[in-house]
Amino acid sequence: MNEEENRPVRWNLDDNGVAELIMCDRERNNLFTDSFIDAFLGALSEIEKERPICLLISGLPDVFSGGADKETLLDLCDGKIVVKDLEISERLVAAPFPIVSAMQGHAVGGGLVIGLCSDVMVLARESRYGAVFMNLGFTPGMGTTELLPMAFGPFIASEMMLGGRMFRGSELAERGVPVNAIVPKADVYRRARRIALQIADKPVDSVYLLKYTLSSEKRKRLIDARRNEDLMHRITFPMPETRRRISEQYNE
Amino acid sequence: MTKEEVIEVIKRNIVENLDDVEADSIDATKSMKEYGANSLDMIEVVSTSMRELNIKIPRSELAELGNIDELADKFMEYINKG
Repeated sequence: MNEEENRPVRWNLDDNGVAELIMCDRERNNLFTDSFIDAFLGALSEIEKERPICLLISGLPDVFSGGADKETLLDLCDGKIVVKDLEISERLVAAPFPIVSAMQGHAVGGGLVIGLCSDVMVLARESRYGAVFMNLGFTPGMGTTELLPMAFGPFIASEMMLGGRMFRGSELAERGVPVNAIVPKADVYRRARRIALQIADKPVDSVYLLKYTLSSEKRKRLIDARRNEDLMHRITFPMPETRRRISEQYNE
Repeated sequence: MTKEEVIEVIKRNIVENLDDVEADSIDATKSMKEYGANSLDMIEVVSTSMRELNIKIPRSELAELGNIDELADKFMEYINKG
């Protein structure tokens, strides 16, 4: 493999003004390792410089992203402050261009948050989506407590966060979760790209202005969420049970 | 509880967690993968079944199991431990 193929995150910009960010860390299933987050945020900065009209985010066929990795979570248990993954939600919500997430594969924890921070979300019937933080003993982060109820509705969001169950896309569709589309896996990318192209057809300045207006509620909610979530994390990460659950869960 | 009853619990959870699978069509000598289950589907089926049976089995012990029948045997081991 050459260096290009080894990169955990790649991006490109097409003639239509659609930038694509592809999360492709096969080895670690797009978990938020240090190097993954650096690559993700780095790509985002480079994309911003190009002023695309729209950004399409996609992942691996089976995994969109699994969220935080074990080392980061154990660091949090030890009281080390890790702010990097929080930066992902902040940067996405504050992006000047609309974001379309093509979530073909599973999206769990922080991986789901990438979708929640987007303007358009396309899910797969066969894949699973979960806010599994509490399975590991600690309370949800990255803005999930505000962004998930806003996107999926308060009752489903409560069940996902409190129960920690990973829902199949088909089940979310049956429950009427109001995302843009929940389609067979094979159609996710095409459907998401079609929406991105429709957006890219408009004047870039108008798109940026409208995006800024439409995202104001999300930006406000993220600030509120962070305040409460940080407080809860200060209590839940140092708990011995949290450490035990994290160690067990990732024990292959 | 008998092993047959445990298999029924697992089958019911497979039906609830997967699209287009009927309990009668499930062969316990096969892996859930053959019925279209992906890795997270299997985690959901196993964890819901364990909750229903009131048992807790470490992940490391579940990783090497090859089919539904072996899963039921592992569940029985823990049910009998009480």
